[in-house]
Amino acid sequence: MKDLRPWTHAALYGALWGALEATAGTALHLGRVPFRGEIMGLMGLVCLVCLRRIQPRVGVVLIAGLTAVFLKIFTLGGVFPGPLIAIALQAVAVEFGFLVARGRLAAGLGGAVALGTNPLQRVIMAWVVAGPEAATAVIRAVGELGGVDPRLVLAGFVAVAACIGAMGGLWAWRLAGRVVRRLGDRP
Amino acid sequence: MNAILALGLFAAVVASFASAVEVVGGAAVLACAVAWVADRGALKRVLSAGLVLGAVFAAAAAAAAVAWSSGLERGLLIGATVLLRIIVLAVAAAVVSRSVDAEGILRATSRFGMERLGLSLGLALNSLPHLVTTATTVWTAHRVRFDGGRFGLGRLPALAEVLLAHTGRVAEQAAAAAALRGHTTLGRAQVAVASQAPTVVVTGPPGCGKTPLVEKVVDCLAGAGQPAAGFVQPAIISGGEKTGFEVRNVATGESAELARKVTQGEGRHGTAYRFRDEGFALAGRALDGAAPGVVLVIDELGPVELRGGGHWPAVERALKTDGLAGVIVVVRRTLVPTLVEALDAVDVIVVDLEGEADDPVAVVIGALHGGDASRSFQ
Repeated sequence: MKDLRPWTHAALYGALWGALEATAGTALHLGRVPFRGEIMGLMGLVCLVCLRRIQPRVGVVLIAGLTAVFLKIFTLGGVFPGPLIAIALQAVAVEFGFLVARGRLAAGLGGAVALGTNPLQRVIMAWVVAGPEAATAVIRAVGELGGVDPRLVLAGFVAVAACIGAMGGLWAWRLAGRVVRRLGDRP
Repeated sequence: MNAILALGLFAAVVASFASAVEVVGGAAVLACAVAWVADRGALKRVLSAGLVLGAVFAAAAAAAAVAWSSGLERGLLIGATVLLRIIVLAVAAAVVSRSVDAEGILRATSRFGMERLGLSLGLALNSLPHLVTTATTVWTAHRVRFDGGRFGLGRLPALAEVLLAHTGRVAEQAAAAAALRGHTTLGRAQVAVASQAPTVVVTGPPGCGKTPLVEKVVDCLAGAGQPAAGFVQPAIISGGEKTGFEVRNVATGESAELARKVTQGEGRHGTAYRFRDEGFALAGRALDGAAPGVVLVIDELGPVELRGGGHWPAVERALKTDGLAGVIVVVRRTLVPTLVEALDAVDVIVVDLEGEADDPVAVVIGALHGGDASRSFQ
């Protein structure tokens, strides 16, 4: 069908997410604000869930993610690959949520996966950059000096981030409902 | 950046993941050399104090951990490797990000047959100033409304709602603009039916009175002895709110509920409505009244129909009737080109109610009889 709206909506919501990343994201990054990844993740989640509720087509979220990555490349923070990978993974996570579930459950699941993978992504990036020997040594040091199994700490972080993501997804779904009513869609 | 430099940078990145510090050191030299030749600005950017301090801190942490477990010498070696690897990756990222431009990416999407993605990215880039203006306007309106009071997090949802809704409207307008410019790359037609009858497409923004206009046109035609068949879909208003749509046979006046708004649950077809089979059945019977000499009225066709669902089977049957006196179709603006292509009609006139200075009823009836050529779409 020649309905252009899925593409234009994906472009516009992706642009909104990209603009937020370029402004708020860069400001939070430069200000070294704690939990900046989670804050930006929630903003992106709201854009993606809203887009998926307005245009329930498979793939629109991925296009919005690509758009946000495209815009992020040209910003001050574009030199760092971390946020670009995080944006792309978040879009994939939300799309996954909507592929395996429907409605608010999908939004919650997508949010949980999107934010839950945030700490994992950082660990994997650190593993890749530092190399396996250094990463193993750090894990051992944390385990022996801190008296806690680092895997448990990581699992805790993942669980907390996933819970925040799930709640954010559910809230975003509700907000998206209000946006749809405001737009006054007609069958 | 030419191919040799790109290859050199790629080789440096790959080599930086080696475990031997000499190899990683060589990779760092190669990456810096490429950056020096290709883009010295990128090198300066990487060598900023913040980035270097961050890299040194990460390397020191890795060195300390390894020294604690495997001895000082091994720790220093790993620390140096990590530092050099970070330099290579940062230099590569800086060079690549500075050599990539929007035009290049858009050209690449076209070269790889992804025109739709390229158009979407272009639209996103062009819409950025509009989105920033919108955000500023939303913020100013918020400040005016709350008389410059202290900003509270509790007001964030309302601000987000307005901004997201406005973004949605911009997307609708962009789709309409792209459609009216005849952009066909972003989508594909899924239905088609040849129609020989003069066709008037009535369009306009939501709430501009398309359905009342069609009802008036049908009354005028009936007054002139011109029979009409088909249906209109007036909104069901309850307590001042639109709660659904009914479908009404223009020939018999018979009506049935077609769609009801769902308050908290799931709508169908991406809408906030659930549909009833009785409504579709009535619309089908109304369209079966199409006969030679009759004006066919279809209010309205949406994305569902243009995918071949909803009313489309009955619409297709009715449009194939020989000798129709005319066809009036109501459709939203974004779908006008799709509809025109799907109808494959010889004579189509589009009447947009917004900005229509003349009496729209007269315009539609005039268009059915050949009408004003200046409003001709094709």
